[in-house]
Amino acid sequence: MNLLLLYLLLLKATMTSFSGLASLPVLRSDLVIRYHVLTDAQLNTAVAAGRMGPGPVGNYVVSVGYQIGGYPGAAAGWLAMITPAFVIIVLLRFVGRRAEHPRVRGMIRAITLAGAGLLLAAAVPLAREAIHGPLPFVIASASLLLSLLTKIDSIWVVLGAALAGLLAFYL
Amino acid sequence: MSLVFLRIGNTTLGGGDPTIAALQRELIRRGWITQEQFALAFALARITPGTNMLAFSAAAGWYIFGLAGALGAVLAVTIPSSLLVVWLTGIYGAGTQIRWLGAVVASTIAAALGIMIAAALTLIRSQIIANNRWVIPLLIAGGAFGLRFVGLTPLEIIALAGVAGLFWRP
Repeated sequence: MNLLLLYLLLLKATMTSFSGLASLPVLRSDLVIRYHVLTDAQLNTAVAAGRMGPGPVGNYVVSVGYQIGGYPGAAAGWLAMITPAFVIIVLLRFVGRRAEHPRVRGMIRAITLAGAGLLLAAAVPLAREAIHGPLPFVIASASLLLSLLTKIDSIWVVLGAALAGLLAFYL
Repeated sequence: MSLVFLRIGNTTLGGGDPTIAALQRELIRRGWITQEQFALAFALARITPGTNMLAFSAAAGWYIFGLAGALGAVLAVTIPSSLLVVWLTGIYGAGTQIRWLGAVVASTIAAALGIMIAAALTLIRSQIIANNRWVIPLLIAGGAFGLRFVGLTPLEIIALAGVAGLFWRP
């Protein structure tokens, strides 16, 4: 896949979502289902690698780019992640407070909800790929509950899971 | 200025909101942006596509040094963490050869999946306000139906939701 197309497909996903992982369903439908340049296993890896460190949740797109096109691909992913941010300059200069129109708010609310529903739908094939046996199931369930019910940062959840995996391997 | 963004953007855990809160403290304390500028940047960041924290950084940088400031801020918050992500992805690749590493990788992937589902549920929860409870299951069911039975792509569903939202007054 050439770099420009990769960048445009990733940009399509980042430009049509309003929070970190909400770009995942569009990205998956293009790169996994339509173009077959990425597998669900690689997409799982990208999300996990993104949560291992600090920085915005959207940075899993950099890992997706890297797995498809090496370092140039990572650069394309990085560009696709930061490009939408500059839209705010246009909003600041020309629109200002008027951008908070009720219609705009309703639109973003609906898009956020649609994105969340699509993310749940996309989690099904990703879970099928990632959950083999009881240990991953327990870890995924525990991570879900910890993230929902406590304010613990996701990096500790991921590092805790790494420790659990290591212990289970040696015991 | 880039150093402030570099430090806060790459050391604050927890994603967007805690990072924005930390930036707010630092930027206002130094007198680089005013409280009103912060409020507008924060509000507009939420309606800018992509990652809110990056849009906020671009806006704050823009107030301080114009376009160069916006670029500097965004580069400073994204480059170190992006390099780390690439490096971690490389380690995940090595997990297929080394058995103990493979066990660790599989566990963190399972954890990330749990976090992803929690993120989706949190997004839905954040949009629930008193008088719109009935619209939300309807929107989600409509989206799921379109995806599964009508064969719409996710982008088409997002576009439809966006159009519907124009007429939605919660």
